[in-house]
Amino acid sequence: MRKWLVPALVVAVVAAFVLWRFSPGTQTPTVVVYVSHDQVFSEPILKDFEKETGIKVRAVYDTEETKSTGTMNRLIAEKSNPQADVYWANEPVRAEVLRQQAIAAPYLSPNAEGISASFKDPDGYWTGFAARARVLIVNKNATAKPDSVLAYGDPGWRGRAVMANPLFGTTTTEIAALFVLWGDERAAAFMNALRANGVKLSPSNGDSADLVARGEFAFSLVDTDDVVSRVRQQQPVELVYPDQGADGIGCFVVPNAVVLIAGAPHPDMARKLIDYLLSKDVEAKLARSDAAQIPLHPGVEGPPELRPIDKLKTTQVNYAEIAAKLQAIQPFLKRWVESGW
Amino acid sequence: MVTERLVLVAATLVLAAVGLLPVAAMLKETLIADGRFSLGAYRALLASGDHLALLMSHSLQLAFLTASLATLIGVPLGVLLGKTDLPWRGALTLVFAAPLLIPSYVLAVAWLSMVGRTGLLGGILPEAWSREIASAFFGLFGCTFVLAAAFMPIATLLMIAFLRNINPELENAGRLVSGWLGVLARITLPVVAPAIVFAAVLIFLLSLGEIGVPMYLRFPVYPVETLTQFAAFYDLRAATVTAAPLLLVTLAVLGLQNRLHKRVLQLGRRTPRGEAVQITLGIWRLPLFALVLAFAAVVVAVPLGALAVQSFSVDAYALAFARAGDSILRSLAFAAAGASLLAVLGFFWGYLAERRTLFLWWTNEWIALLLLALPGSVIGIGLISLWNTKATSFIYASPAILILGYLAQYAILPTRVVAASLHAVPRSLEQAAWLSGAGWIATLRLIVAPLARRGLVAAWLISFVFALRDVAISIVVYPPGADTLPVRILTLMANGAPSVIAALCIILIAVTLLPLAAAGLWLKFSVARP
Repeated sequence: MRKWLVPALVVAVVAAFVLWRFSPGTQTPTVVVYVSHDQVFSEPILKDFEKETGIKVRAVYDTEETKSTGTMNRLIAEKSNPQADVYWANEPVRAEVLRQQAIAAPYLSPNAEGISASFKDPDGYWTGFAARARVLIVNKNATAKPDSVLAYGDPGWRGRAVMANPLFGTTTTEIAALFVLWGDERAAAFMNALRANGVKLSPSNGDSADLVARGEFAFSLVDTDDVVSRVRQQQPVELVYPDQGADGIGCFVVPNAVVLIAGAPHPDMARKLIDYLLSKDVEAKLARSDAAQIPLHPGVEGPPELRPIDKLKTTQVNYAEIAAKLQAIQPFLKRWVESGW
Repeated sequence: MVTERLVLVAATLVLAAVGLLPVAAMLKETLIADGRFSLGAYRALLASGDHLALLMSHSLQLAFLTASLATLIGVPLGVLLGKTDLPWRGALTLVFAAPLLIPSYVLAVAWLSMVGRTGLLGGILPEAWSREIASAFFGLFGCTFVLAAAFMPIATLLMIAFLRNINPELENAGRLVSGWLGVLARITLPVVAPAIVFAAVLIFLLSLGEIGVPMYLRFPVYPVETLTQFAAFYDLRAATVTAAPLLLVTLAVLGLQNRLHKRVLQLGRRTPRGEAVQITLGIWRLPLFALVLAFAAVVVAVPLGALAVQSFSVDAYALAFARAGDSILRSLAFAAAGASLLAVLGFFWGYLAERRTLFLWWTNEWIALLLLALPGSVIGIGLISLWNTKATSFIYASPAILILGYLAQYAILPTRVVAASLHAVPRSLEQAAWLSGAGWIATLRLIVAPLARRGLVAAWLISFVFALRDVAISIVVYPPGADTLPVRILTLMANGAPSVIAALCIILIAVTLLPLAAAGLWLKFSVARP
C-alpha cells in the first residue's frame, strides 16, 4: 500500500492548495458581479475596473446554452442569502423582474445623469447603459428589402423569413413590447399571421443571422451586434432599421442594465462598480468593441456602422410594463412555439 | 462486524446527505406555493401531458438509439483494444477517449463546421449533396450521431477495464474446445455482460438528460421543458417538477437492468489467477488495425481535426491561456479532489453493493443512479437551496460546493466500477483474514484494496474525467471568480473567437489525457505487477 501513499498525498496536497488558492479571500476589497452580457465583451471591462480601482472582481458569467438566464435563476435561488453584489443584465426586463421579486435594491448613480429617463428605473432599481437595437438583417441578394417588422406577416415574404425562438432572449422582450404597444388582440393576431406565413424559428439571434447570411432566408429580426459582426466579416448582409417612417412604431432598443442586489455582501464596492459601468468611458469601450453597443450618454462616439441613439426613431414603451406583459404572455408564447413542432 | 456496519452505514448516509438532501430541498419547494402546501406545479405538469409526451418520446428515441449505437460499436472496439494484440492499443484508447472529454455541445459545433453547408464537406461535395447531408444532420439523425460519438468511449473504456478482470482459467478451458469467437460469445461477453448493460444504461441516462446538442441541432427533447421553465418563466419549482418523469423513466430502466444484472452475475464468480489472456489476431491484425484507424479518422479525427485546424495559430493558444489559465488549474484541482473523494467513498459504496452485507445494500446504487438521471441544473439549484445559508456560506461560497455536486451526480461511477472489481476478489480471502484475527478495516486495507487496485484506479480515472468535463452542475454553483474550463469554454462561445474556443477545447482534451496517460503508464509498470 505504501506505493499508493505518495501519489495520493501529491493529489491531496495539490488539490488542497488550489482549493485554498481559489477560495474567496477576505483581505482584498472585493465585489461579486453576476453577468449575463457576453463574457468576451464584459470581462475586459471588469478587468479594467480592477486595474483602475484595486477592487477585486469575482464574476459569474452566463452561457448561450442557458439562454443567458443562468445567473438570473441563480440570483432568484440565492434570494434568502445573496452572494452577488451587482447584476449586469444584458436587457432591462430581467432587471425589472428582479425589482418585482424584491431582489434589486435602489441606487441612483451620479453617472446615470444624461441617460434618458426612458432607459432607467425612476427609483434607481436598475439603470440602462450601452444599448443594442432590434433591427432587420437582410441578405444583399434579396429581391426586395423589408422595412418593418410587419413584413413577417406579409404574404409577399412567405417562407422567406426566420426569427429566433420567441420564448427566450431579446426576441421575447420585443414580442412583449408589441403586446404592450398594440394590445393583446392585435399582437396575438400578428403572431398567428407569422405562423400562417411560414416563419421559421431558429435557436438564437446569432443562428438567424447566419441563416440570412448564407442566403437560406431573406431577412430576420436580430440585435444590432449580430448584424455588425457579420458586416465586419464581409458577409453579404445589410442592416435595416425597421419602422422608421412617420407612422412607424420605431425600432426597439434594448440597453444593458445594472442592478444593485438587495442585501449585497459588499454594498460600497457594488456602488463603485455600478458607477464605473455607467461611465461614459465604459460606453465608449463597449461601442468600440465587437459588441458594437450604442451609447446612451450624449456625446459618446458610437460604432461607425450604427446610427447614434438620437438619430433613431425608437419604440416608445415602458420596460416595467414590458416585464409585466412578458410574464403574462409566456404561456401564450410557449403554446405558440409548441404548435410549430 | 460492528465496524463494518458502522462504516458502511456512514458511507450510505454520506451519499444520502450529499445527494438526496439537495433533491429533498427542491422537492419541498415544489410542494409549497405562497407559503402553503400545493400540488399546483404537478397539476400544471399533467395539464400539458400531450406536449410533454411528444417531447418524452423524442428523448426516449434519442436515448435508445444513442445507447444502442454507442454500445454496439463501443463494445467490440473495447474487445479489440483491451483483449487483442492490435498495434498501438494504448494510444488508440486515448484517441477514442478524446470525444468524451469535451462538452458534447462543442462536439456538435465541430461536426457542423465539417458537414454544414458552409463547412469543409460543403466546399467539396456538390451543392445538392451537401444540402441533403446538412439538413439530415439537423434532427434525430445528427443528435444520435454526435451523442453516440461522444458517449461511445464509455462503453469502450468500461469493456477494457472489465475484460482485465476475467478469470483466464475460464477462457483457457473454453479454448480447449472452441476458437476465440466461440469463447468470446459464450464465455467472455456473458461474464462481462453486467459491464455492457451498465455502459448501455449509463449512455441511455446521459443521452436522456442531454439538452445542448438537441437544442443546437433543432430536435426538441424533454429536458427543453426544464430549460424553458428556468429560462423563460424563471420558475424553479416548475423546472424541478418537470424532472419527475425523467425519474420515472430512470426507475423503469433500473428495474429492467437490475433483473438482468442479477441473472448474469451468477455466471461470473471467479478467482483471478495469472495474467489476462490475450487474443492473437494473426492475419487479421493489420486489416483490423486499418479498420480501427479508419474508424478513428471518422469519429475522432474529423471533429477534433476541425478544432485543431481552427485553432492552428500560436496567437490562439496564447490568448486561450491568457483568458483561461486559472480555469485550467482550477478544473484539474477540483476534478482531482472530486475524483479522490469519489474513489474513496465509491470503494465503500461498491463494497456494499457487491458484498451485500447490510439489509439495505441496494439503496446506494439506486440513489446514485437516480442522481445521475436528474438534470444537473436541478441538483445545482437543490445545492443552492440547501447550502446557501448564513451558517453554511463557507461551503457554498467555496469550491467545496462543486465537489459536493460531483459527489452527488457521479456517485454511481465509482460504485459500479469498484463493485465489478470486487466481484473478482473472493469473499473467502476476507473470511480467512478474519479467522486469523484481522479486523475488518485491516482486511480491507491489506487484502481487499490491494486486490481491487485496478478497479480503484479505474474508479478514480472515470470520476476524474466526468468531474473534469462537467458543465451542468458547475455552471449553476461555481463560486464567483472560480469557473472551470468547460464552463469558460461555454461562456466564451457567445461571440468569442472560434479559434480561441477551438484552442481551449484542444487544451481541455490535453489536460485530461495527460493524467490518463500517466495513470495508464503507472498501471502498466507499477500496479500491474502483483
